[in-house]
Amino acid sequence: MPEDDEDQSPPSDLRSQPPCSPNKSRNCISSSSSQTFPDHVLENVLENVLQFLDSRCDRNAASLVCKLWWKVEGLTRSEVFIGNCYALSPARLTQRFKRVRSLLLKGKPRFADFNLMPPDWGANFAPWVSTMAKAYPWLEKVDLKRMFVTDDDLALLAESFPGFKELVLVCCEGFGTSGIAVVANKCRKLKVLDLIESEVTDDEVDWVSCFPEDVTCLESLAFDCVEAPINFKALEGLVGRSPSLRKLRLNRFVSLEELRRLLLLGAPQLTSLGTGSFSRGDQSDEQGPPDYAAAFRACKSVVCLSGFRELMPEYLPAILPVCANLTSLNFSYANISPDMFKPIIHSCHKLQIFWALDSICDEGLQAVAATCKELRELRIFPFDPREDSEGPVSELGLQAISEGCRKLESLLYFCQRMTNAALIAMSHNCPELTVFRLCIMGRHRPDHVTGKAMDEGFGAIVKNCKKLTRLAVSGLLTDQAFRYMGEYGKLIRTLSVAFAGDSDMALRHVLEGCPRLQKLEIRDSPFGDVALRSGMHRYYNMRFVWMSACSLSMGCCKDVARAMPNLVVEVIGSDDDDENREFVDTLYMYRSLDGPRKDAPQFVTIL
Amino acid sequence: MEGCPISRETCPKLLDLIPQERKWYHDKEKNNSDQEKKLELRLAPPGGDEEDLSAMKKKKNLETRNNIKKEAEDKPIFNLSGNHFSPSNKTTYAPPHISHKRTAPGPVVGWPPVRSFRKNLASSSSSKLGNDQINKSGEGEKQVEPKREGMFVKINMDSVPIGRKVDLNAYSTYEQLSLAVDKLFRGLLAAQRDTSGGEGEEQPIIGLLNGKGEFTLTYEDNEGDKMLVGDVPWQMFVSSVKRLRVIKSSEISSALKCKLLCSYGNMFYSHN
Repeated sequence: MPEDDEDQSPPSDLRSQPPCSPNKSRNCISSSSSQTFPDHVLENVLENVLQFLDSRCDRNAASLVCKLWWKVEGLTRSEVFIGNCYALSPARLTQRFKRVRSLLLKGKPRFADFNLMPPDWGANFAPWVSTMAKAYPWLEKVDLKRMFVTDDDLALLAESFPGFKELVLVCCEGFGTSGIAVVANKCRKLKVLDLIESEVTDDEVDWVSCFPEDVTCLESLAFDCVEAPINFKALEGLVGRSPSLRKLRLNRFVSLEELRRLLLLGAPQLTSLGTGSFSRGDQSDEQGPPDYAAAFRACKSVVCLSGFRELMPEYLPAILPVCANLTSLNFSYANISPDMFKPIIHSCHKLQIFWALDSICDEGLQAVAATCKELRELRIFPFDPREDSEGPVSELGLQAISEGCRKLESLLYFCQRMTNAALIAMSHNCPELTVFRLCIMGRHRPDHVTGKAMDEGFGAIVKNCKKLTRLAVSGLLTDQAFRYMGEYGKLIRTLSVAFAGDSDMALRHVLEGCPRLQKLEIRDSPFGDVALRSGMHRYYNMRFVWMSACSLSMGCCKDVARAMPNLVVEVIGSDDDDENREFVDTLYMYRSLDGPRKDAPQFVTIL
Repeated sequence: MEGCPISRETCPKLLDLIPQERKWYHDKEKNNSDQEKKLELRLAPPGGDEEDLSAMKKKKNLETRNNIKKEAEDKPIFNLSGNHFSPSNKTTYAPPHISHKRTAPGPVVGWPPVRSFRKNLASSSSSKLGNDQINKSGEGEKQVEPKREGMFVKINMDSVPIGRKVDLNAYSTYEQLSLAVDKLFRGLLAAQRDTSGGEGEEQPIIGLLNGKGEFTLTYEDNEGDKMLVGDVPWQMFVSSVKRLRVIKSSEISSALKCKLLCSYGNMFYSHN
């Protein structure tokens, strides 16, 4: 079965040659002298047909039909998705796909976000951009996630692709405002510049002024993660000469007053707005407090609202005019109390995506449940992310949400206490759930009412939410919870486990059970060699496996590496890596078509 | 900012003094059902089991990461279970350590799994509910940590019954703080030691940060843990300190002192 998220053939076919030989295919006429003519016609026909295929899944399937289809599909694929940048080399990409216009590339595993991986591990964009610079001068779009991108990479990108249109950097690092400035300046056709949750160093470069002087093509500009002041006057000018601008996400160095001025300039076209700091500077009010609500009234098209990085709560009601239209609201940087929150949410009937801090409390969640009947995605982040902090949200909030928001599809919920009953209720009330991520912040915490493990709650989720594809578990969990996962988690693709399970059996249940498992990330759980060996039949079919602070021995990891030559087995250790060390610190393994990478740093041992 | 102490050969690893720590975990694995009840959440001495066994040598790319506090903090050295002290953990990364013990509290790397830019909300005073807003002009001001009016914390010294208060905002380096402590307590300490009415000579209080003096400076952070002063960047320290305590260096075991001395050169971080 072809992978639906890799553009390469499935692991059974790890050769660089395409699958079928021409002799076997009915479509290819072989060993006849006139074969070139029909082939060309067929190729043209195929090309014209295949170019309409957009879905990755369909394209992967089409490429397996025969050699000709493989070739033509490779010629016509314009958008390439690579889920793990080390699964193949840039050269392989350019050899197979000749006319790529858009690349989506992912690098580090997700646990790197939480400092479980040393910096300088890799995922460098450099080899990709330099290879593509020669192969795809027509490249228009680059979307990177968790990659290490330098200013030089950005400069090369800006210079090599004259028609470049979209740059999206999510959770990336390694570059600064000088790299952004080059992109702004040289990419004259730039439509999208989205910096999302990335670390951008402040090189004290006025990148906003670097955009060309004349009318721009900008449709989306998001820089809310940039921790550097900007030239507001230049930004005002830019917004003024960007008639196509629909999405604007400001950073916290833009004050409320400046936001107001920007909105008066370009509000009616904006569909997505990041409000910046949402606080005022030290200006005195000469004519009384400014009418921020008027500025928001002008935002007739805004459906997505975020920002509030340094919220001054007394000004929050200014957003009321847009609430009725909102489908997406992100309050996750705003410490808003339930009393401040309720009047706002009361107007947000159309809300589908809602992110917030737990400062809104169970009370706030009840208000959400009462109003937001269309809610699809909910994320509640902890204001005080410590194990023993006050927990303003609990099973009560979750229960309310499950009863009020029946269409819920995606949940991320941080809390200090939870009950199995609430999870069971949610499993029945919200059958559309595809993503369920619950983080009970105290490790190994049981159901705080019954004192039992959280097995039954998570068991109900996997059993009743038949569409579940992503699961993250927490709290006190025994092997039983994993038995449920293995038995019922038929569609689970991504599983995150931390401080859970009793024995190897737990991991075995999962590895022997969940047939669609692609991404497995485990930390601090008592799983050892037996469990690791039990999954050997699976690892080629997975994108990656991460296990840190478990009970894996070096010997077993070496065995796995030996048995599976196309699997790259990385052991990430500490400096004083002792040969006598009993357990491996971190195991990160993934399949690769081109063997182990050459840029591994010292602390990575590839077995 | 360098991580590990270099002269590991000369200083005995404190871990060597703790016999076969890991054996605990194996036993636990065998007796799972019995342990189940025992492993319910309870108040227990800080286990320190999740402590990383060694700090990574890192390149200096941490200036932009000064939001990350929890992961970089050291384990308390006054651990009742007598666990080791791991120096110079200023880095954001620490290699994972197996933790099967279920009752061990204490900060763990990367837990809860919240990204670093979401972590400083609680300490940033500009996110207080509706009051004390820190006003920032839009341009020209780049502040990562909010300014505070006067940050007075209590400071006590062993063998001195009376405590003082010190304004941490008045200083920007550990050296300055150390000098201030000397000024605050020198007289009091001399008075305390003057038992028989003889001339009380005022001795300067030195060596507070490097383990060489008679006293060592420690603090209690916002999680209630007792920490050694000097490991984290100044601003990070200021944002997490709740009170200070000057303790007798002899209270720390000799092995720790050795580690302190070895790592002094690496450990001292001055925030500019």
